[in-house]
Amino acid sequence: MKIDEALKKLEQITKHLEENDLPLEKALSLFEEGLALATTIKSELDQAKLKIQQVMEKAKGVFSLEDFDLQ
Amino acid sequence: MLKEHVYSVSELNSKARGILEKNFGSVWLKGEISNLVRAPSGHLYFTIKDKASEIAAARFKGHSALLPASALKNGMEILSFGRLTIYEPRGRYQFIVSLIQPAGLGALQLTFERLKEKLKTEGLFDAGHKKPISPFPHRIGVITSPAGAAIRDILSTLERRWPLIEVFLFPSAVQGDCAADEIVSAIACAEAFSSTQANLDLLILGRGGGSLEDLAVFNDEQVARSIFLCPIPIVSAVGHEIDFTIADFVADLRAPTPSAAAELVTPNRTEQLGILSSWIAQTVRHLDTMLDRRTRRLQRSLKGYIFQIPNRKVERLNQDLDFRLGEILRRTSEAWKKRSREGTRLEGFLRLSDPTLPFRRGYSLTFPLGKPIPLRDAASLSPGQCIETRLQRGSIISQVEEVTAG
Repeated sequence: MKIDEALKKLEQITKHLEENDLPLEKALSLFEEGLALATTIKSELDQAKLKIQQVMEKAKGVFSLEDFDLQ
Repeated sequence: MLKEHVYSVSELNSKARGILEKNFGSVWLKGEISNLVRAPSGHLYFTIKDKASEIAAARFKGHSALLPASALKNGMEILSFGRLTIYEPRGRYQFIVSLIQPAGLGALQLTFERLKEKLKTEGLFDAGHKKPISPFPHRIGVITSPAGAAIRDILSTLERRWPLIEVFLFPSAVQGDCAADEIVSAIACAEAFSSTQANLDLLILGRGGGSLEDLAVFNDEQVARSIFLCPIPIVSAVGHEIDFTIADFVADLRAPTPSAAAELVTPNRTEQLGILSSWIAQTVRHLDTMLDRRTRRLQRSLKGYIFQIPNRKVERLNQDLDFRLGEILRRTSEAWKKRSREGTRLEGFLRLSDPTLPFRRGYSLTFPLGKPIPLRDAASLSPGQCIETRLQRGSIISQVEEVTAG
């Protein structure tokens, strides 16, 4: 799942949790789901590393990609 | 006999200066720079001349100018704005410059204004044409020079704020004669790449600061039209402070510098992490309230129920119900506490990144065997009881031989 989708899902869970007559068991399982999402998002953010590639069009529609490094 | 007034030198200079300043005020003066002297104070002294005459000129430090002091050279044709005065101690007639620009700039400025007006009339700057920019971009294309400061600034900002991004650099010259053509083909290349290889959420087009001439390509008509026609949202990021370029007007979003562009188009990692922890804290509180409400409701309904039972059965039933209610509450709250502990632990985890740290340092947790709550007080144990100790790796079950109260 992409991070923005995960964040959106978390938002939906929060909305759901705020519903008035939500049974406690349901609330707890939503909370669990939310926690799992939050943990995934956090670890993705921690491990992420910027990927940089330089793009050249060799011929029409033919692209070459090279890793780009700042000296 | 009518006596002619005899001036002192000071008086004469002062009066002449008054007349000169009053009658001329500020004027535009065109000419060529010569005898340029840079005083250590930062002031500039030079002569402005044409074929037949010359005038002494000074430009004091701190006066803003379209042309930086370092760019002034002997032989340069300039257009300057300033006031005419006399430097009284030397009786020197001179021109104090407050604005200075290359003589050709007037024409350049005119072209700029004309193009701006034309494109505006055609609707290229209309807000209705601006494409929205995704708040969570996954892939960003950057059109700039691979050797310039702009790419460096953009990358370091992205790295800091939102390193989940894939960056694609479409190299292009950003100044000089070929720059306009190169930018136009880089935009075309990014378009083709985005539609056939990997969808780009937006493009950043820019360069670091430079003189007006350096930035000329961002006032180019072809470049402006390419930006307008590009289906991918474009953020202009030209490092200049004086004014907007045509590219800024036509772009979907304008940033004052390349790093500002990178900042404008990305969420902030630290902020997002903060949102996550406060989500957990809030939800824990919310569930707490829910549990409280439920407990109260159960107690209320229990009371109502008791009144409907014949007296002699009440005591027995009361006990029974008490027991059952206690059982329900205990189970629910245990399940809840277990999850809440997980929640608290995870919250700590989010804050500190690493809950196993104390274990790695050699700390351990001891539980009465089969109980979930760790031991805090030796006095709660007695010899013969079994305890479980959890270490960084694995756990030990042991029997208590002796207890020393703390």
